[in-house]
Amino acid sequence: MKVELQINNSVSALARFVTWAPSPCRIRVTDPSGTTATAVTVQLSSVSTANAGAVTFRQGTTGAFANTLSLAVPVNGTSVPFFVAGKFGQPSTANGDVKIEARVKFAPSTPPTLVGSTTLMVRIRKSTESLTTAERDRFVNAFGKLNNQGQGRFQDFRDMHASSAALAQAHGAAGFLPWHRAYLLDLERELQAIDPSVALPYWRFDQAAPKLFRLDFFGVSDQNGRVQFSNTNPLQFWKTDGFLGINRSPFFSTSQAPPGLFNENQTFTLGGPNNLYRLFRRMEGNPHGSAHVLFGGFIHDPPTAPKDPLFFLLHCNVDRLWAKWQLQNSRFDQSVAAAYDSNPPNGNQIGHNLLDTMWPWNGVTTPPRPPTAPGGTLAASDCTSAPGPQPRVQDCLDYHGAINPLARMGFDYDDVRFA
Amino acid sequence: MRNRSEAEFARLVDSLAADPHRRGELADLLREDHSWYEQRGTATIVRMRGWVLIALARTGVTDGTLLFILEELDNGVDAYLIAAAATALRAYPSPKAAFGPFLVNALQQIRYRDEPISFEAYGAYAMSGENTTAVRELVKTVAWLGPHARSVLPDLEALRSQSAGLSKELATALDQTLKAIKNNEVNEYGPAACCDLPSNLANKMSWLRNYRRSSRPIESAIFEDQDGTRFSFKEFFRGHPSIVVFFYTRCDNPLKCSLTVTKLGRIQKLIEQHGLDDRVNTAAITYDPDFDLPKRLRAYGRDRNVRMDARNRMLRATAGIDALARHFKLGINFIESLVNRHRIEAYVLDDEGRVAASFARLRWNEQEVIDRAVDLLRERDEEASSIDGSKHRAKGAPKKLALLGSIASVAVAFFPKCPICWAAYLSMFGIAGFNQIPYSPWLQPIFALVMAINLLSVWLRGWSTKRIIAPLIATTGALIILASRTVSGWEKLAVCGVLLTLAGSLLSAVTWRPRKSLAFFAKKSLMTG
Amino acid sequence: MPKKSAKPTRPQVRATETSLSVATDPKGRVADRVTAMAEASMTICEDDQSFRAVINVLRDPKEPFEVRNAALQALGAAAFRVIEFAPCRSDYIATLRALAEDRDPTLRRRALGTLAREKDGYAQKKLIEGLKNPDVALVSPEKALQFLSYDPHAEAYAIAREFVKKPPNDEAKAEALRLLAADPKSAPLFEKVLRDKDELRDNRQLAASALYSLNPGKFQKHARAMLLDKSEFEDIQATSLTALAQFGDQEAVGKDEPLLKGIQKLGAKTRSAKYKKNARQFLARHGR
Repeated sequence: MKVELQINNSVSALARFVTWAPSPCRIRVTDPSGTTATAVTVQLSSVSTANAGAVTFRQGTTGAFANTLSLAVPVNGTSVPFFVAGKFGQPSTANGDVKIEARVKFAPSTPPTLVGSTTLMVRIRKSTESLTTAERDRFVNAFGKLNNQGQGRFQDFRDMHASSAALAQAHGAAGFLPWHRAYLLDLERELQAIDPSVALPYWRFDQAAPKLFRLDFFGVSDQNGRVQFSNTNPLQFWKTDGFLGINRSPFFSTSQAPPGLFNENQTFTLGGPNNLYRLFRRMEGNPHGSAHVLFGGFIHDPPTAPKDPLFFLLHCNVDRLWAKWQLQNSRFDQSVAAAYDSNPPNGNQIGHNLLDTMWPWNGVTTPPRPPTAPGGTLAASDCTSAPGPQPRVQDCLDYHGAINPLARMGFDYDDVRFA
Repeated sequence: MRNRSEAEFARLVDSLAADPHRRGELADLLREDHSWYEQRGTATIVRMRGWVLIALARTGVTDGTLLFILEELDNGVDAYLIAAAATALRAYPSPKAAFGPFLVNALQQIRYRDEPISFEAYGAYAMSGENTTAVRELVKTVAWLGPHARSVLPDLEALRSQSAGLSKELATALDQTLKAIKNNEVNEYGPAACCDLPSNLANKMSWLRNYRRSSRPIESAIFEDQDGTRFSFKEFFRGHPSIVVFFYTRCDNPLKCSLTVTKLGRIQKLIEQHGLDDRVNTAAITYDPDFDLPKRLRAYGRDRNVRMDARNRMLRATAGIDALARHFKLGINFIESLVNRHRIEAYVLDDEGRVAASFARLRWNEQEVIDRAVDLLRERDEEASSIDGSKHRAKGAPKKLALLGSIASVAVAFFPKCPICWAAYLSMFGIAGFNQIPYSPWLQPIFALVMAINLLSVWLRGWSTKRIIAPLIATTGALIILASRTVSGWEKLAVCGVLLTLAGSLLSAVTWRPRKSLAFFAKKSLMTG
Repeated sequence: MPKKSAKPTRPQVRATETSLSVATDPKGRVADRVTAMAEASMTICEDDQSFRAVINVLRDPKEPFEVRNAALQALGAAAFRVIEFAPCRSDYIATLRALAEDRDPTLRRRALGTLAREKDGYAQKKLIEGLKNPDVALVSPEKALQFLSYDPHAEAYAIAREFVKKPPNDEAKAEALRLLAADPKSAPLFEKVLRDKDELRDNRQLAASALYSLNPGKFQKHARAMLLDKSEFEDIQATSLTALAQFGDQEAVGKDEPLLKGIQKLGAKTRSAKYKKNARQFLARHGR
């Protein structure tokens, strides 16, 4: 007998990535030989190597997850749904380091027979300080290729965050956090098109990050603020706007925590006693803006900030802070006023209202939107259909499907569990 | 030229502004290719051009200089130049509704990039917030437009409704302006009044066929495309109309090159939708061929959804940009090999590679550009038809011959068989003296020969136009005529024979051109509709 | 596993008005004012009064450097709130221009850095003047060159070439080279720097990258030659290898038997685990 396991309801290898949020899966019998019954009981379990990810199972859309799951599966090929989720606290470190095994006990006296298996990855956004060397190298390799010496797809991401008209689509109003969430996701998916095992790491800017500012990772700044890389680091060829290299002068010691930023707990209090998004979004100034100005160089100012790839790790942490605040205060539901700032009665600028599509993914180039829309629609994923090629602001709130499972965007943070 | 200082330039501008007989020369100083701008950095050029615009603000703006001002408002991104342009616009003799969209556009572009501006002296930079700013000057100019800004009232109201991002001062100024617009009417009616600029602005130019400059000077210029394929100007641009834009990848004004190339991509889609993609070429040529190597061209085009294939290419001139600059009269200047300032420009070339239309300085409309290319296609097809027509006239009988042939057919059909009939016919015509002409039977074979020549000409015309209906009719008629003369009892059929011969000859003589033009017009009206 | 969050080491966030009044109090402790200024960056531009208060601190040469610097940081952070910052921007730029000639070198440098990234004409003019005449220089030549490189249209190529020929120090030469990396005419210069074994390693690494960008064909040729040159430094060979691995013509490389053999030798010879791994990965891609 053989069974087929579909992760994220797909047989594609590119769909075999899960997060803490439940991923819809299916199992079906593809070869019923060995039994005359109309259905068999299949037991699912996961096997992990050391330091690898782990997954848990659930049959329906509610209830607790468990390490194993038994399912009655018809032998006629009809598929049976179930859910898999990464076990919180055990993300993968390599693609395929977790295996799901399906076993059937054909007779009471015989041990269960392995009838099918699939490898997958619990792909999670981690702190830069907890990446393995291999994870780090895969990430910088993918990023180097995305940049491709200034001629790769990265230029579109740079162009999305350059002109004042573009910056106004994403800064200084309610849509700051959702826009950047979509921006990071788009970039991450482009990295995953190069290497599917890559997830965007975050720079925990209120703590020391000694591993990040190294020659093999995001470089060491010399006394003039030029970032140096090791000879084997592809980021040494980084180029944007025809300019070679990265300018970044830290105003603090990179082996220590930077001063002047709100720490996590302080950030979470910005929403006030009622935990309002309207107040929480002031984090755009501090810690977000304050993190930017910890350095001289590209990252210091809005029109040049994304020329430094550190920008994306900084914003990954900003997004993580939002995600954590959302979890702490149940702020995933767009219909809850406290979850967003709709700025009644006038509403927000275009692009910042819940129902607005977001530039550039919407392709709108008539005023007041910018005149071009670099990059096209938001990159697709084999793991999920959300948030869609032209996401609206509201599509970026319920990022891991806490309210609507279909809204799951396919990423999670190592220290933000599923709601 | 590089050795002349900015101070000299400022003195020149001031002296021209002070001399009423030389103020017209100020416009010349705004041409990008002026020698004053050679080998200067962009920031220097901003100071220089800004000072000219400020001079115009003092001396007055004419239609000749208006285009440069509108250009800055249309696609400029530098606060100093936008402020100077807004200030200068107020020196135009009278406000026009057509200025409204330019001011609103500039406001949208600069409102999040505002800067303090000083016009006190050449090259002065404001060091405090007490000075003016680009946004302040724009709002002042909108106020100057007053009720003429009615067409952009919705845009201004939208701007005002978002209180975030507006200073109190700006909000107050806008409130006052909105009030002035709403409370007053002006005598400008209809959409034409809204959008009409002076007709002699010269941002769009067209040249009739006989007035286009030959492309010979650049025919042998070699290009390399995004794949590294090399070919001459002649090889790519001759044979089909082409739409050509200029750009460079290091342009940092998103309203110029990036938008231009993006629009080229949109033009390509429109061309394809109308089934013209095998009839019109497109090309984007870089101003910066030394830096914009093929891979860079390809990436730039790819990122802007530009199609790249045999008829659509991203190009660099391998021998440098100079010859092209001279031929196209490009609005550009350089510091070393890098562009320091350029205007928006797009061209439509005819099938001989000659410039037939240009769109410069202001952002152009994709449909307008395509319309010009379609006009060139029609022109080419009309030219081909008239060549065919003249070939017919050379090969076969002219229309006169067709008529003569028809008369000959009549003559053959009804040639009198005897002298008495002959006299009777001539009398019938009642022409004095005709009845004195003796019976001339030798005329019959001559008429027959003329009829045969006519028939031959009809067949030749039919063969060349691939329409054989007319020759068949004429031949049938001729055969009937011959039969009526030879077969007993068929005499009465002579009339039919004559009528058929006449019909065939006349049908052959009518041209097909109107029907073809109608098809073109029908297609064009579908495109614009 | 992520570490548990530590207990907060600072007081909870104060109300903005309180932060601002502490930050702008000339009698307050410097450390308290600096902390308060960072807190105030959340909302500096929400009203004109708050903004003016911070600008006035920044512009006042009598205020302590730390407080002025914190004010500059706070404004820089607030500038990211683009829409809300719009009414403040022109005053911010004016203040930065004034600061560019401040007596404090750090404030001058930071102000000029921001202005240069905004491609401000005033900043470019001052920087070029300083490079031509050191007596009026506002920042070091290497910093000036670095700032000018933010805008390729800043008419700095000619000066940069002078600094490559006669650098006042190594950093200035490196910055001049980096600025010229966008100049197609400088490709021959980079070929020379790349192959010069007496040149600083960092400059050679920079030259590799610059040459690849300006003339990929030439770079591939030199990279190959350097990989086969037994007397070449390992780290430069490693740079060449990384470039070929990431961006080279893989089809051509895969057919280049002497090159692949050379890389095998490099991998065997080197003591660096990193270079060994680099060589191994490269060869594995080509079936070796």
